[in-house]
Amino acid sequence: MHPRQSGMSRRQLLRRSAVGAAGLSAAGALAGCENTTTPIGAADAAGEVSKAAAELVVPKPLGPAGLPLPRSDNAVTWAITDDNKPIADGVKPEVGPLRIYNYADYVDPATVKKFQQKFNAKVQVATYNSSDEAIAKIASGAVSFDLIMGLSGSNMVDLIARRLLKPLNHSYLPNLEKNIWPELVDPFYDRGARYTVPYVVWMDGIGWRNDKVKEDIATMDVPWDIFWQAQAYRGQVGILDDRRDALSMPMQRDAMRRDVRPDLNTEDEAVVDKAQRDLSALSAICNPKITITDYQTLPEGKTVLHHSWSGDVLGGVFYYRPKNVPPSALSFWGPVQNGVVQNDFFCVGRTATSPALAHQFINFFLDERNAYANFVDFTGYTPPQKNIDADTLLKRNLIPKSLTQAIVRPDQFAANQELLQLSVQGQRFWDDAWSKFKVG
Amino acid sequence: MGGSRWTWRLLALPGVAWLSVFFLVALYAVLAVAFGNQDTLSQPVPFWNPLDWNVGYVLEMLKNIWHGGQFLTVSLRTIEFVTIAVVLSLLVGYPVAYFTARHAGRWKGLVLVGLILPLWINYLMRMLAWINLLAPDGLGTRALHTFGIEKLFLTLGLLGAPGGWLNGEPTTVILALVYGYLPFFILPLFVAIDRIDARQIEAARDLGASPLSGFLRVTLPLSVPGILAGIVLIALPMFGDYYTADLVSSSTQTNMIGNQIDEFMRQGSQKVTGAALTLLLSVFLLVLMFYYLRTTRRAGTSAQTA
Repeated sequence: MHPRQSGMSRRQLLRRSAVGAAGLSAAGALAGCENTTTPIGAADAAGEVSKAAAELVVPKPLGPAGLPLPRSDNAVTWAITDDNKPIADGVKPEVGPLRIYNYADYVDPATVKKFQQKFNAKVQVATYNSSDEAIAKIASGAVSFDLIMGLSGSNMVDLIARRLLKPLNHSYLPNLEKNIWPELVDPFYDRGARYTVPYVVWMDGIGWRNDKVKEDIATMDVPWDIFWQAQAYRGQVGILDDRRDALSMPMQRDAMRRDVRPDLNTEDEAVVDKAQRDLSALSAICNPKITITDYQTLPEGKTVLHHSWSGDVLGGVFYYRPKNVPPSALSFWGPVQNGVVQNDFFCVGRTATSPALAHQFINFFLDERNAYANFVDFTGYTPPQKNIDADTLLKRNLIPKSLTQAIVRPDQFAANQELLQLSVQGQRFWDDAWSKFKVG
Repeated sequence: MGGSRWTWRLLALPGVAWLSVFFLVALYAVLAVAFGNQDTLSQPVPFWNPLDWNVGYVLEMLKNIWHGGQFLTVSLRTIEFVTIAVVLSLLVGYPVAYFTARHAGRWKGLVLVGLILPLWINYLMRMLAWINLLAPDGLGTRALHTFGIEKLFLTLGLLGAPGGWLNGEPTTVILALVYGYLPFFILPLFVAIDRIDARQIEAARDLGASPLSGFLRVTLPLSVPGILAGIVLIALPMFGDYYTADLVSSSTQTNMIGNQIDEFMRQGSQKVTGAALTLLLSVFLLVLMFYYLRTTRRAGTSAQTA
C-alpha cells in the first residue's frame, strides 16, 4: 500500500515510528514527522476547475506545476511574459564567448569552428549526461548558458515551468522556415516555435550486425520479437539505457502484434508494469546489456543486436567504425508507424549573456550545408532539412542500403510518436517500473 | 606536558573541522533529503528541521524490502558480491601480505612499490583496460583460454559461454571488484603482519609448535586487526560501487545497490527515493563499522592484558 494510503493517524505513526526509525535517527527528532510521498503543492498544482468543466470535460493529466502536457492532439502555446521578452530585432551579435550546453559528442567541432571563424567569436561547449542533469544544473542557477542543445519534448514542460528559456526572435532565424520540415516549424509542444527550434530528429529501432545475426529482422512480422528470440546472441544484445525508450519498446511490440496504435506516453500503471515484465523476461533469454554505447559496440562487434537510436547507428558508421568492418555490415530497422521518434531542439537560456550570438548559431546550424556537415561528418543524427534525405546519402555513397531506414523521413516522423513529458504520478509509474527492471 | 597536549589538540583541529564539514554536513544533507519531500517539479525539497521530517519515503523503502521488492533483491545481490569479493581478496591478499612482511627481505620495498603501482593508474582506466583485455578476441581472453582457466570456469558454471567474460557475468564483476580493491586490502594487512614481534613466533616454535600451528595460533590471531582493517577499507567502498558493474557488465543481473542509487539520483523523478536508499545503505555500513570498532577494541584490550 502506498504510504499515503496507510490510514495511520499522526499519533499512531508517532507510536509505530518510534521503534522503526530509532535506528535511522534519534527517535525524539522524529516526533513531528509527516508520512507522505505526495509532492508538495500537488493539490494546488491541479488548479481550480469550474464545476461545469469538472462534470463535462474528461480531465487530462497535468504536468509539473500544473501546466498542460502537450500532446499531438493537445497543442500548447507558451506565453511570452513581460519580464522575459525576446531580444529586439537587428541586435549585433555579441563578441561571446558563446556558452553552449549539450550532450557530449553531439555537435561537429569542425562546423563549430567554421561558426567561430565567421562570427569571430569564441564558443565554449559544456556537456551533460542526461536531460535531468542538464535541467537540474541550469535550474540551480550555478551556471548560465546562452544556448542549450539536445533537450526535447520530454523536457518541454519542465523548461517552461522552471522559467529557464528565453523566447526566440524569428527575425534572426530565416533558415527555419526556409529549410526545416513544415511540421517542425510549428510543433504541437511549442506552437509557433516560440522557445525552441529543431536541431536533429531520430527514431528508436533495431541496429544489428547482419554478418553475425542470421535472421532478416527487417522482414519479420514483428521485428521487435527478435529480442525475445535472441538466445543465440546471449550477452551480445543491448537495450537502450533510457527508461522511456526501453519501456516503450515492449509496448510497441504488443501494439504491433495486435495491429493497434499504442500510447507511448501512457500513464496507465498496468500497461507500464506489463512493459516492465516483458522487458525483464529478456534477462533469462539473452541477458542484455543496458547501455547507450551502441554507436561503438555495434561497429566493433562487441554487441551484435541492439535496441538503438537511429543516429547512433549512423554515427557509428560515419565515425567509430573499425577499418575492417564495411558499412554494409550494419543494418537498421525502424517502425514506419507507431514507434518512437524524437526531435532534439535548440533553445536560448533565459540568463543568456550572448543571446543574439546564440540566435546566429542556431540559424547557422539550420543552414543546409552546415546541417549536412554536422550530420555526415560527426553526429549521424538526421537534421530535419527539406533537402537532406536517404536518397541524397545513398547517391553520394555515404551509407549502404541496409541503413536507409536510419534516416528519419517527414512522413515517418508524423506517423510515429514523440516521447513527451508525463505528469508527476505518471513519471513515477515509469520510474518504478524501470527500477524493477534494472535490478533484474 | 600540558602545553604539548594543547599543541596536538590544536593541530588536530583542522582535520576535525574538515571531517565535520565534509562528512557530517553531507550526511545531514542526505538525511534532510531522505526525510524531506519533492516539489511538483519532482525536485527534492530537504527538510532541515528534524521536527518536520517526513518518513514516507524511508517507510516506503522499508516496506519494499520487507515485501521482497526490487530493493531487497539488489541489496542481497550486493551483499553476495561484496562478501565473495572480500573472501577472495583475503585468500589472494593474505599470502601476498604475509610474504611481503616476513619473507621478502631486502626486496620488501620493491614488492611494496609493486603493490602500490596499480594505484598510480586511475581506477576507471584500469577497468577500461580490462574491457579490451576481456573482449572475445582480447589478449586476456585468449590467455585465459590457453591456460585452461576459461574451461575451468565454464565447467563450474561461472561463465556462460566461451569468451563471454563481458556478457554480463556476475563472475566478471566480482573478479573486477577484487582486482580494483585488492591493494587497499593488502597494505593494512602487511603493516599488521610486519608489526608482529618475531620473538613471539620464535617462542611458539621453541615451545614445540609446528610451523602451521605457529601460524594458526600466533601469526593469524595477531594479524586479525589488519584483516579487519583491510575488510573495512575494501568492503565499504564496494558496497557503494556502481561503475565496476557498469563497465564490465551493464547487465541487470549484476546491478548493485550503488547502481540503483545512481539511477535515482541522476535521472528520473525520484531523487528522494535515492536519498532514502543511500541512508539505508549508510545505516547498514554503520552497523558493520560498529562491529569492526568493537572487535578491534576487544583485540586491543586483550593484547594489553596479555
